Amino acid sequence: MSETVSITINEQEVAAPKGALLIDVATELGIEIPIFCSHPKLDPVACCRQCLVEFDGPRGTMLNTACNAPVMDGMVVRTDTPAVKAAQEANLAFILLHHPLDCPICDKGGECPLQDMTMRFGPGVSQLVEPKRRAQKNYSLSDTIVLDQERCVICWRCVRYLEEWEEKPQLGLFERGGDTVIDVQPGSCVDAKTSGNIIDICPVGALTNRGARFQYRPWQIERTGTISLHDPMGNNISVDTRNGTEVRRIMGRENMAVNDQFITDRDRFCHHWVNHSERLTRPLLRRSRTQALEEVSWEEALTFAAARMQEIRARSGPEALGFIGSAKLSNESNYLLQRLARGALGTNNVDCRQGGDVRSGYTGVPALTDLMQPQGGPRPKADTVLLFGLDPSEEIPMLDVHLKRAASRGGTRIHVAHPRRTESARRAETHLPYLPGTEPALLHALIRQVLESGQVDADAYQAWLQLPAQEPEGVAADDIARLATALLDSDHAILICGPDITHQANGEAVTTALRVLARLTGHASRLAFVGLDANSQGCRDMGMAPDMLPGGAALTDADARSRFAELWQAEIPEAPGLRYTEMLEQAGDGIKALYLMGADPADENPRWAAGLEKTDLVVVQELFLTATAQRADVVLPAVSWLETDGTFTNVDRRVQRSPQAITLHGSEAAPDWLILDHVANRMTQNWPYRSVQDITRELSGALPIHQGLDWDALGDLGRRRHPDPTADEEAPLSPVPAVSVPTPDPGALRLYRGRLFYDAGRLCALTDQMANSIPAPFLAMHPQDLEASALSDGDQVEVTSAYGSLSLPVRTDGSMAPGSVWLPESLSGAPVGALLNGGYWDWVTIQKA
Amino acid sequence: MDQPLLSAELRAEIQALIERYPPGRGRSAILPALYAIQRELGYAPVEAQNELADMLGLEPAEVGAVVSFYHMIHAEPKGDYLLQVCTNVPCMLRGANGCMHALEETLGVTHGETTADGQFTLEHMECLGSCATAPMVAVTQKSSGQIRYFEELDSEEDIQDVLTLLREDKGFDSLERWTPDRDPERTGAPAGPYTVGGMEETYLTRRVNRPQSHTLADYEADGGYETARSILTSGTPTGPELVDMVKASGLKGRGGAGFPTGVKWGFLPPDLFPRYLVVNADESEPGTFKDRCVMEYDPHQLIESIILTSYAIQAEEAYIYIRGEYYFAYRRLREAIAECEAKGYLGPNLFGTRHKLRIVVHRGAGAYICGEESALLSSLEGYRGFPRSRPPFPAVAGLYAKPTIINNVESVCNVLHISRMGADAYRAFGTEASPGFRMFCLSGNVKRPGLYELPHGTPVRVLIEDYGGGPQHPDRPVRAVIPGGLSMQLFSADQLETGLDPESIAGAGSNLGSAGIIVMDESTSMVDVGLRTVAFFREESCGKCTPCREGTVWMEDILKRIQRGEGRTRDLPLLEHIADNIAGKSFCPFGFAAVWGLQSNLAKFGADWTRHIETTNPEGQMPNLPVRPIYRPDAEEQSGLFEIALEPVGESPLVRDSVVPLDSADS
Repeated sequence: MSETVSITINEQEVAAPKGALLIDVATELGIEIPIFCSHPKLDPVACCRQCLVEFDGPRGTMLNTACNAPVMDGMVVRTDTPAVKAAQEANLAFILLHHPLDCPICDKGGECPLQDMTMRFGPGVSQLVEPKRRAQKNYSLSDTIVLDQERCVICWRCVRYLEEWEEKPQLGLFERGGDTVIDVQPGSCVDAKTSGNIIDICPVGALTNRGARFQYRPWQIERTGTISLHDPMGNNISVDTRNGTEVRRIMGRENMAVNDQFITDRDRFCHHWVNHSERLTRPLLRRSRTQALEEVSWEEALTFAAARMQEIRARSGPEALGFIGSAKLSNESNYLLQRLARGALGTNNVDCRQGGDVRSGYTGVPALTDLMQPQGGPRPKADTVLLFGLDPSEEIPMLDVHLKRAASRGGTRIHVAHPRRTESARRAETHLPYLPGTEPALLHALIRQVLESGQVDADAYQAWLQLPAQEPEGVAADDIARLATALLDSDHAILICGPDITHQANGEAVTTALRVLARLTGHASRLAFVGLDANSQGCRDMGMAPDMLPGGAALTDADARSRFAELWQAEIPEAPGLRYTEMLEQAGDGIKALYLMGADPADENPRWAAGLEKTDLVVVQELFLTATAQRADVVLPAVSWLETDGTFTNVDRRVQRSPQAITLHGSEAAPDWLILDHVANRMTQNWPYRSVQDITRELSGALPIHQGLDWDALGDLGRRRHPDPTADEEAPLSPVPAVSVPTPDPGALRLYRGRLFYDAGRLCALTDQMANSIPAPFLAMHPQDLEASALSDGDQVEVTSAYGSLSLPVRTDGSMAPGSVWLPESLSGAPVGALLNGGYWDWVTIQKA
Repeated sequence: MDQPLLSAELRAEIQALIERYPPGRGRSAILPALYAIQRELGYAPVEAQNELADMLGLEPAEVGAVVSFYHMIHAEPKGDYLLQVCTNVPCMLRGANGCMHALEETLGVTHGETTADGQFTLEHMECLGSCATAPMVAVTQKSSGQIRYFEELDSEEDIQDVLTLLREDKGFDSLERWTPDRDPERTGAPAGPYTVGGMEETYLTRRVNRPQSHTLADYEADGGYETARSILTSGTPTGPELVDMVKASGLKGRGGAGFPTGVKWGFLPPDLFPRYLVVNADESEPGTFKDRCVMEYDPHQLIESIILTSYAIQAEEAYIYIRGEYYFAYRRLREAIAECEAKGYLGPNLFGTRHKLRIVVHRGAGAYICGEESALLSSLEGYRGFPRSRPPFPAVAGLYAKPTIINNVESVCNVLHISRMGADAYRAFGTEASPGFRMFCLSGNVKRPGLYELPHGTPVRVLIEDYGGGPQHPDRPVRAVIPGGLSMQLFSADQLETGLDPESIAGAGSNLGSAGIIVMDESTSMVDVGLRTVAFFREESCGKCTPCREGTVWMEDILKRIQRGEGRTRDLPLLEHIADNIAGKSFCPFGFAAVWGLQSNLAKFGADWTRHIETTNPEGQMPNLPVRPIYRPDAEEQSGLFEIALEPVGESPLVRDSVVPLDSADS
């Protein structure tokens, strides 16, 4: 318990935590003091002067602001005297002086602090006879945010958010005195990845959501607290809907263990796909290969799918069936899909994209709160963070915000190992720009450094010193030493590893080396392998993997197998099934039938698209007629996460609810779990689920890691699931020899994929105002490599790998490590899978087209 | 990539500027860098701002926000010569409006405009520290970024001569001030020091009339640096002893607030280093020009004083924050510092001792608020000049969050004289509560405006009559006096016996402030003074807090309306109401400064105001103004319903009650 002080407020003596701000103490007591510039998540600036209250001082009573006054022992304050009221009223008159009072057409009307304050504290009359000041109205700060400078009260909460949380003050106060306005630098825009939060914290209608403008009235909307599914943070959001059918806007919702109260711009703005006219509403069936897909009844589609699956199983055996789930879908849906595969059809061919192919699996970060620095909160526990192969600013922007704040305010030191000089790398203490594929060499060098430091007991790890000492390309020896020292000296380091580094031929070697590094430096329990989709962690926990049962037990675990055999009343095969890439490679050959739920491999890789066309049966559960759905025999229309209940497990293993917010009118689309239940039913299975909650309850009983986490127990803020049973921590890990992937051609470069915050996937691209934010495809190349290939910026080139070739424009990018080229995935017309075949990187040659 | 606007040389120059500041504090170089950019490109275009942002590791908006805060940095090009006429009250009293008008007539442009040939841009400006030599024009030469003052432009011929000098390229052969009287040949020759006077033996201004007074050789020949050398080499008195001596002397700050200097020094936390000394040379209070005189004509006096002060407070780095318009003083200071560095009087081993001192001269860029110490720190750190919350006080966490002492130029200079004569001798001057002597800046309607060094306690009348020679025109007696710079309360003619020391002035309801005494004679319109005063504070309000940002604009709007004959009697209580809610409610003391002048004006000369309103608007007509902008697609066409909305607020049937009672004010 922290120290308390005693203060007297409105003649009432209270104890308050030392150092707390008077405004917070008063709010706690239910004493209302009007505020504009003050915000519980921002540093006080005391500029709006609305919170003047009366203090007893050495020279008598005086008015001062409550928002920046720390409580002190013996402080005597009054918030309701005539002097206070007069000052607050006069100040409100100043604030309203030039306010346009266009409340009838203002989005904020009805939920506007300025309106509320005016009613409670305002003078009720204006003495102004001069003309009101004019300024920019309907002024776009970006494609998503509109500013009205006339409504602005210059509280600069927006500027301060961008400064204090994003560390990108792209907005500023321009001019001075009465001419002061909030503005961007001419020609620039606000493009910080969480910039939309400034709309939420604006106390007036100055900042509005361009996509939601004029779409709602606060008193007409219904609000559902749920989570976003754009990245693995599971940022908590409020979805405001109209008529129970349409999403009108999305705002941040406070969860101090996840996202504070802020969300990313994708979370906020990219939701127009939910109510999009291209959504599938009826089942589609292709009766024979030569026919087109046509709308049919659910009965026909379901019966067809179930019958054909069983037929193929009978003919070619269960190994000929493949099931692909999705890390963008809920725990319940994924659980049922693998139950359908394992329980009903007897195959372990179950996986999802970036599932079993990521050799490390996912462990999740120890606790997000360890690296968060809330306003006025304690310093983060983590003193050091290593980001390995992860680019949070593009991939998990809220994590990036937490890290930036932890670094600047909490003293956390950030180190980055990434082939590109990412945004995090630019701010980091060290940046190790290894080349893709050389991760083992880098890690071995780090381990060697640690073992030779004399600070660890190296006896059990002699084998690691026997490894050939190989200089990791492109990384300075000093930086390796500095990082090794940083990890050794740290009391609480978190190592966060992205999925790419273990998604390659050397995946096992990298995983093992990372575990050794973490163990040697004392951070074994804080080595985090994270996925990048909303439910990457949950998918794995649900057994959406070819070698693992729900709850994380290996297939070889006879106990676990028999437990599920009993629960599902089925035989579960012991041999591991095929991974995602393997199933798709064999589609049309060994794999005769594929059942895909929310997965679109045809878009990812043209070769896989061709494979699907040769497959006897393709069943797809989808929202849209994707490239894969177009090649399907049966397309079953599913609903989005807002139209059904579900739970998702985020990057720190927090299981969070996503309750249904809307129902689409005129659509027959059904929730994934319900579709699966009906398919199973037509295979004479009799599943006991009447609702999602029934499945959640089954999980809470059957999975030790989900013990007790049924729907009600999760509550509005979710709960962390139980930790995985700890593996044997003591046994030394012997090195896994790294496979060398030889250069096919001396001039070849390493091409690797990555992600951009806004890509051309439907989740972004179907929101009209995002069009300008999504880049055209490009191949990023270091200027040196460009010069060596006699290319210049913008040239169209032919990129060729062992698997195929693509024609793309090149872009000069000094942030690349020389020798490597980068192609972001999901940009329209540039399927990076055509070159990489599902992997993370490969050799390519580049020629001018 | 497009060709960068900033050349390699300019980038190298900016890099060197960044390195003038402590590591990691490169943002401090933002104003110096913008000056360099402006010198090279003629202005600071957005693209150049963005390149600078990149060099400093900032977002472009951070640079843009700074650029738009400071008047002297402009994102749009100006003419070859930027002519800025001070029209503030002290200059106004001596015909600045005529000067401005003559320039408008001659050049055919008005405020903010550039002549068609691109040669001249004309602007009216706030006080430029030339109050005793009014009216004046400050000229900025675009090609070099240099500024020169052309003063005492009493006639239209004088103005023509200035333009001729500039057109003939003779205007910038020297940067020292120019006056018509001292350059009869019209060659552009400098005018030399101002009129200074005062008590028989002066201290602060003793040397400023000597030829070559600004050189090290002359200063040393006059016994300069002996005090500093002897104290630093002998170690007597020690630093703490010197602090005690200053405490004992009773020296009070000369910048405006009058806080005891030694006591302020005592607030430094004992074991926290580094410490900084920041010398506040942002002299911008209208009616004040004392620090300018010292810096231009006796810069070594200031440097020796800084050496002693830094020794006393154990600072190894000192910053002089000088207002941007004082370009000549800036140059003189830089030259003087270079002389000292060459001789080892500044640098790693002062006078061969282990003491270190580095002085950085940092130019402001046209913002009155930066004279407020916490705003000065914001500005020096490279931000908009916004005042900061106190606590923490600068002595604990000031510049770069380190313990910092901020003293006015004159305060620091007094340290030298206290060191020389001892605290007791110093206390022989002035009053018991406020010992010492002071540079009084006398301006306005007196015969001999100028700088007079006198002991505290000298009555206002003595300064005006004995030193200033009495009223400017014998037939127009003194009507009012502002005793401490424009922000202070007015004295009426019956208060002239008050002694010029902080306590006496405060007792009479005003403040001695920066000791700028502005005298107004009978011909002065108190309405004009009220408007011009408020206009200044409106112009210089930083905009951080609501009451000052909104209130000053509102007051100015009302005053303009009154001045042009649309005033209502009930505007007077409204003005008082607004003023009451700025003073003490705003973030920084600027709020008081912004209203004291008007409040005292209304209180003491209320009859003038009523008379003005009654003669110009005898019917008490409502102002002919649109009430509020109209937000409709067809806003240009007014519907009949709109007539009601156009009724001025206060008269509308929708109004429930009024803050200013409707009946009492108009009756």
